Amino acid sequence: MKGAGTVGAIIRWARRRSPWVLHFNSGGCNGCDIEIVDTLTPRFDVERLGILKESSPRHADILLCTGPVTRQSRARLRRIYEQIPAPKWVVAVGGCSCSGGIFRGGYNVLGGIDQVLPVDIYIPGCPSRPEAIIEGILQLLETIE
Amino acid sequence: MRDVASAVLTILVFPGFGFLFVCALAFHWIDRRVTARFQGRVGPPWFQPFADFVKLLAKEDVLPVGAHERACALLPMVSLAAVLTAALHIPVGGYVVTSFEGDLIVVLFLLSLPALAYFLAGWLSASVFSVVGGSRALLQYFAYEVPFLMALAGPAILVGSWSVSRISGAQSGGLWTLLVQPIGFVLAFIGLIGKLKRSPFDIPKAKSEIGAGPLTEFSGRKLALWHLSLQVKTVVGIFLLVDVFLGGSGGGISLSGVTLFGVKCLLVLLALSVTGVLYARLRIDQLATMGWRVLAPLALVQLLVVVLVGG
Ligand code: SF4
Repeated sequence: MKGAGTVGAIIRWARRRSPWVLHFNSGGCNGCDIEIVDTLTPRFDVERLGILKESSPRHADILLCTGPVTRQSRARLRRIYEQIPAPKWVVAVGGCSCSGGIFRGGYNVLGGIDQVLPVDIYIPGCPSRPEAIIEGILQLLETIE
Repeated sequence: MRDVASAVLTILVFPGFGFLFVCALAFHWIDRRVTARFQGRVGPPWFQPFADFVKLLAKEDVLPVGAHERACALLPMVSLAAVLTAALHIPVGGYVVTSFEGDLIVVLFLLSLPALAYFLAGWLSASVFSVVGGSRALLQYFAYEVPFLMALAGPAILVGSWSVSRISGAQSGGLWTLLVQPIGFVLAFIGLIGKLKRSPFDIPKAKSEIGAGPLTEFSGRKLALWHLSLQVKTVVGIFLLVDVFLGGSGGGISLSGVTLFGVKCLLVLLALSVTGVLYARLRIDQLATMGWRVLAPLALVQLLVVVLVGG
């Protein structure tokens, strides 16, 4: 994925400036989802950072996951991840998706998102605040090569 | 040799592809920025459309099993090529690459090719969302295209020429077509919104209903080309409207003419953005009803007036 020289630098610059996100809840309480929706409101105006919410995995770069992975949602989560074209990144939003949170150990719960997908950044909180989500995405963008 | 070089330069740089590319990104940015300001936001920085474009170019290009690969690769190119070719016949501030009697019809034909490509893209990319989006796109096409064509026929009949440059030139010194045929202008404007699939006529790609519509399964390079072709189409559509209805550059080639042309284009763009912000999406049946019960009869009335009074 690494480009050489100027072209590589331009591509890296473009990737950092244009993260399009897709949001998927794999079994949380909906609290984090509301915070994500909040993040996308004009109040926080994430479009100024180039962040757009896409409704098709094919258009997305970043998968924003909320909630723990349940047995039922595991296959779908994997499938959505596979539908995103490379390069792609996964952000775990909220305590549940980091570790399973309050649902950890439940009969139908596998644990955090990292049980199924490679997570690039964990954002704690129950639910995570919009400021924290934005900060997390920005930190992720810093690491993009 | 000089002739060939200058011809290549006009086609590739100004007022050809290079200029259109820059214009497309700039107009897209202005549109997003205006929308953001209306929603009480700051909006994206000026390089945003370019960053999006480069990022998409550098992304993996995947298609689902069952999609028609060759067609899906070809369709965005067809769409882009059609709008770029259409742009060659439309004067930009008085400059035009080629112009001949009847080029208005060629332009209109070329501008409706992307709608067909868009529908086929939805149909051939093996996804429920894209098939629904594709059939909506075709339905929408039938609703706006007829009033749009009739609205643009008005000025042509009045001037007695089917060439965009001639129609544009005929208004220099005289009245703008807008003042003579206000209904025609409004209809062409509404038709343009439908053509560009902008809100409130963004029915084929209704985000909250059917994913991204026909483009749901497109990614990477192909998606970048689709976006670019839609952005260039916006520019070409605005140029066409300004030339046919708003007097173009006011005749001749001059700095003030070019500036005037630019200002008019920005005004039309602003009108498009504001309409997009103000109105919520219609349903497809509402659009079809509106197209045939309201817009088409109005266009007929306008044509009749032109033929009886003006001709
Ligand atoms: S982290 Fe808290 S708010 Fe978020 S999904 Fe889990 S329980 Fe709900």
